[in-house]
Amino acid sequence: MHPTTLMYTSSLLLMFAVLLYPLLVTFTSLPLNNDWAASHAKTAVKSAFLISLAPLSLFLSTGMEAVTSSWTWMVTTTLDITLSFKFDHYSIIFIPIALYVTWSILEFATWYMHSDPLMNRFFKYLLTFLVAMLILVSANNLFQLFIGWEGVGIMSFLLIGWWHGRADANTAALQAVLYNRVGDIGLILGMAWLATNVNSWDIQQMFILSKDLDMTLPLLGLILAATGKSAQFGLHPWLPAAMEGPTPVSALLHSSTMVVAGIFLLIRMSPLMENNQTALTLCLCLGALTTMFTATCALTQNDIKKIVAFSTSSQLGLMMVTIGLNQPQLAFLHICTHAFFKAMLFLCSGSVIHSLNDEQDIRKMGGLHHLAPFTSSCLTVGSLALTGTPFLAGFFSKDAIIEALNTSHVNAWALTLTLIATSFTAIYSLRVIFFVTMGTPRFLPLSPINENNSAVINPLKRLAWGSIFGGLLVMLNINLFKTPVLTMPTELKLAALAVSVLGLLTALELATLTSKQFKVTPLRTPHHFSTSLGFVPAIIHRQVPQLSLLLGQKIASQMVDQTWLEKTGPKAIANATTPLASATSNMQQGLIKTYLTLFLMTLVLVTLISAT
Amino acid sequence: MTPTHFSISSAFLLGLMGLAFHRTHLLSALLCLEAMMLALFIALSLWSLQLDATGCSTAPMLMLAFSACEASAGLALLVATARTHGTDHMQALNLLQC
Repeated sequence: MHPTTLMYTSSLLLMFAVLLYPLLVTFTSLPLNNDWAASHAKTAVKSAFLISLAPLSLFLSTGMEAVTSSWTWMVTTTLDITLSFKFDHYSIIFIPIALYVTWSILEFATWYMHSDPLMNRFFKYLLTFLVAMLILVSANNLFQLFIGWEGVGIMSFLLIGWWHGRADANTAALQAVLYNRVGDIGLILGMAWLATNVNSWDIQQMFILSKDLDMTLPLLGLILAATGKSAQFGLHPWLPAAMEGPTPVSALLHSSTMVVAGIFLLIRMSPLMENNQTALTLCLCLGALTTMFTATCALTQNDIKKIVAFSTSSQLGLMMVTIGLNQPQLAFLHICTHAFFKAMLFLCSGSVIHSLNDEQDIRKMGGLHHLAPFTSSCLTVGSLALTGTPFLAGFFSKDAIIEALNTSHVNAWALTLTLIATSFTAIYSLRVIFFVTMGTPRFLPLSPINENNSAVINPLKRLAWGSIFGGLLVMLNINLFKTPVLTMPTELKLAALAVSVLGLLTALELATLTSKQFKVTPLRTPHHFSTSLGFVPAIIHRQVPQLSLLLGQKIASQMVDQTWLEKTGPKAIANATTPLASATSNMQQGLIKTYLTLFLMTLVLVTLISAT
Repeated sequence: MTPTHFSISSAFLLGLMGLAFHRTHLLSALLCLEAMMLALFIALSLWSLQLDATGCSTAPMLMLAFSACEASAGLALLVATARTHGTDHMQALNLLQC
């Protein structure tokens, strides 16, 4: 085997071994020591991150990609499935970033979940999730990807419903599973179509064999899968509801890793989508609608985690727009930079929440700039990176996307929505910073504000370094596949910055209005639309179950019980013949004498007639 | 119709009339039934002479055997009626009459 491939494969194997060892230890019946979480789980992830830097550096210096196919899982006459791993540009860069973010989150979780008696189980779930995510990212065939896909879905369910005594948490976990299931239908549709038409689930074989086929149907299936997993419009309500889980879960699953699985799938399958204009336009419009809608919803939320969740949803919409522009690599870039600052925003929220004694409403925070300076600085850095401040992490990906959007033949409506959503990003980011860090405190005086724990500071510091330099580092070391358009009018070049600054100024103006009564009778309709999340959950979560239950009742009690089993089935014969039998027996009076007399009369008549 | 045919038919019809117009006793109905059987027996016996066919010669014997069974069944019913209803009057047998 070529030494580079050997290095890639052995590093991945070592990573899996290092990550699975703590999990396997828990399956033996030995009791875990108290700091198993900190000593074993976090150390495993840290070591896995350091191991993953080896293939990364090898890739950056040689640019060599590899595919490894090992154990043959099943061989049928038409389909082979082997265990195969793909070490390409996407997986080699994503895996170290995911492990870095996970390391920071696990260290934070040792502080955040400190008082939870089941903390070891929590870490076990997080590690299982991480292993499933790595399987998904490094998969070279759709079957292995599906294993990872389902794995992250199930772990998401278990982790969202962590505090399962709370009814809202159970509902949210159920929502996550149901919406992801609808997306899974699309993925299975795509897989089935590919298995029957292209006869393979290997990525390389699919790309070659599908050159002349009309790929609209499987691509629609894959887009549905991404809609479900990455919370695009239509299947989006689960993501804000998933904030019922603990903050480390929100930081890991619902900002950096799991929700990007759908976008990652589309990035992997992007060669199939290049020539299909329908799929590209669908991605574009869906992404634009998502980013606009969720940014609108984020403007009036009061729960800090919900604002960050809607921000995640908005950025996922932006990634979908990028895929619709046929720029998968820019979408991948945005995934990588987004992981840093979004995880940091969630960790800052977690620190703030714990510091204010589990207060999540931003209307009851304030003045943390002086009381928790490090956390509020990280919050500010993360928000600046999110809005695309020049030369922070988010700028390289977001600005590149907006430039590509401006200089391509694209749907004008999608373009408008994306630009408006970008300005909304600035507005709600400023809202968070204004309510949390600025002004005077609005919480109770005896709050356990504490930033002295290194388990809080170090992860925030690491992610802050990532948010500042991450974009630059990734951008310097990769080669862009598609040549970006480098000449454009000045207005287009500055468009992203201009709309963000516009949003910022608007938000500052709105923030100063909070202490004045601007209008005596305010217009409440847009506010209600935004706060009720566009009424989508209220309508869909009631109508659909009601219709299903009505249909079920009609089928079960009316169609089956009343009709098939009573009217037209076994009881049909009884119901039909009983009236006949009773009518017949009612007609017979039992007058034997009369009957016999008539018989006699007839016979006498016959005899007399024939005798003459 | 030949006179023989007419006389046998009229004998059968007289027995049937007795069965139809029974007045009081079940036994009289059974006797009329026997009379009908007798007329039929005579008819079957004379058939082979009238039709010049010898194939149906055994018919009277079969007829006799079956009518004996029938008569014994009728008499058993009479005894059972007398046992349950105490009499063989026909008015007592109105259980099924509406």
